[in-house]
Amino acid sequence: MKEPDPIVFVIDDDRMIREGLQSLIRSVGLRVETFASARDFQAAKRPDAPACLILDVRMPDVSGLDLQRQLNEANIHIPVIFITGHGDIPMSVRAMKEGAQEFLTKPVRGQDLLDAVQKAVERDRGQRKTRAEFEELRARFDSLTPREKEVLDLVVAGLLNKQIADELGMSELTVKTHRAHVMEKTSADSLAHLVRISEKLKTSLQK
Amino acid sequence: MQAAHAAASTLPAVWRYLLATALVAAALFLSLVLQDAFGNPFWFFFPVVVIAATWYCGKGPGWVSVGVSTVLVLYYFIPPTRSFNIKPRDIPFFFVFAACQVVSNRLVSWRRETEDSLRRARDELGIRVAERTAELKQANEALLDRIEEQKRTQDALLVTRTELTRVARITTIGELTASIAHEVNQPLAAVVANGDACVAWLSHSTPNLSEARAAAERMIQGATRASEVIVRIRSLINKATPERTPVEMNKTIEETVALANGQALANGVSIVFDLSPDLPAVRADRIQLQQVILNLVMNGIEAMTSVTDRPRQLLIRSQREKAGEVRVSIEDTGIGVSADAMGRLFEPFYTTRPQGMGMGLPISRSIIEAHGGRLWAESALSQGSVFQFTLPNEDRPEP
Repeated sequence: MKEPDPIVFVIDDDRMIREGLQSLIRSVGLRVETFASARDFQAAKRPDAPACLILDVRMPDVSGLDLQRQLNEANIHIPVIFITGHGDIPMSVRAMKEGAQEFLTKPVRGQDLLDAVQKAVERDRGQRKTRAEFEELRARFDSLTPREKEVLDLVVAGLLNKQIADELGMSELTVKTHRAHVMEKTSADSLAHLVRISEKLKTSLQK
Repeated sequence: MQAAHAAASTLPAVWRYLLATALVAAALFLSLVLQDAFGNPFWFFFPVVVIAATWYCGKGPGWVSVGVSTVLVLYYFIPPTRSFNIKPRDIPFFFVFAACQVVSNRLVSWRRETEDSLRRARDELGIRVAERTAELKQANEALLDRIEEQKRTQDALLVTRTELTRVARITTIGELTASIAHEVNQPLAAVVANGDACVAWLSHSTPNLSEARAAAERMIQGATRASEVIVRIRSLINKATPERTPVEMNKTIEETVALANGQALANGVSIVFDLSPDLPAVRADRIQLQQVILNLVMNGIEAMTSVTDRPRQLLIRSQREKAGEVRVSIEDTGIGVSADAMGRLFEPFYTTRPQGMGMGLPISRSIIEAHGGRLWAESALSQGSVFQFTLPNEDRPEP
């Protein structure tokens, strides 16, 4: 499956800045979508692709910082690059705490912005990959029957087939069959691999 | 007499008795010597001595003089003389004499006591007056202290008010500046973004001219918008169009400097005027002119606050120039301005003071220049500075 092209969202209430940034980003071959306000952005349908958000701090209605917080609360993780006309320290500290990728002051040097965009897109790509892997693992795990999940737990805990059979009150042969299904469904090629997959799932679920 | 009798009454008792005795002896001697020449004048000398002894030596010696002199008279002068015998026909005379002695003694004594008590009363009065005077003096000093304290409070109040005004002014300007900065920065940010885009499109191996052109056009729009902001600010400032009226320079100077008197006083600065009486009127905005003068005067005062080795003096002079211009100079004996600072003195935001804003002189100069005049400075380090400006007189056409 080929990964879709990355996309950059620009949210700024100033039309000329919006168009300038859009043109600049397009010139390096990236997709751009612009929005005049945080509301417009939230209302729009976002394509499934690695992305980053260029956000003006000072906007009427919903400010850049407000939008960042709302996105965090909604569990939407897009790296944010802030642009501010009067970047003061408390504001940038707050933005960074909320996980902003960059904090640039107006007027922004084109190369600085493009570098930041590049880094942000890379970061999102990585995050997406991790998320996709997890989703896949999760799907595989979900495809196990309840019996198979029980067997998996005991296998990972280090029990032998005979012990598992005693524990679950079934024949050793049945355990072996379940175990083969588990290996197949999770596409684990060894016991060690199976343990790793199981650990990954557990830590992800705990988060 | 007061001194003498004060002296005698302070003598020890022994001396007072001896003095009384000596006086009686002197009376006896004179009476005996002058007995034949003046026909027995004892009846004169002895009473006089009794009066004198009672007066100067006090009550006790007075009685002694009465007794002794009566006995002596009986012995020496009442026939038969030189014996204590007395003829029956002389007995009335002798008793009258003795009675006279006693009466004079009593009278003098009484007079003396009255005088003493009067003196005591007077002394007491004197003491009471002195006490009352001291109280009054104390009250007066307390009052003076209060006045002094009030004056200090007033001075402190004045300083606080000046400070407050300055802070308010800076705050307003700060807000205004932030707002202007945002208004101008916004289109500039657009110009930079579009400029970067334009360069990027042109840098492609096959430059994308239509994209570059669009970006360049947006740059022009942004720059135009920035300059429109500036035009708007300028028209905002120009709304307060100065009102030019004929202004008497000397009167304006005096009125304005009065506003700085408190500051001058607080800093130990004396203000000296040398105002030419035959100045032509100038056409100016009175408020703006006051602003310039006040600014220069305050600067002068502040330049002298750290001076200790010479008088802090601000000399304000007005003169008529050859071309009919009016020249005003404000000369201080302050710390002066270094040659380096002199070059930047009229630059906006340049200041040598920690709390200065660096706007006073540029604004002053622009006001004077808007009136068709000139404002300049001369200075010698650690000697002082002179700030001068000229204004054309009323008859000259406006620039």
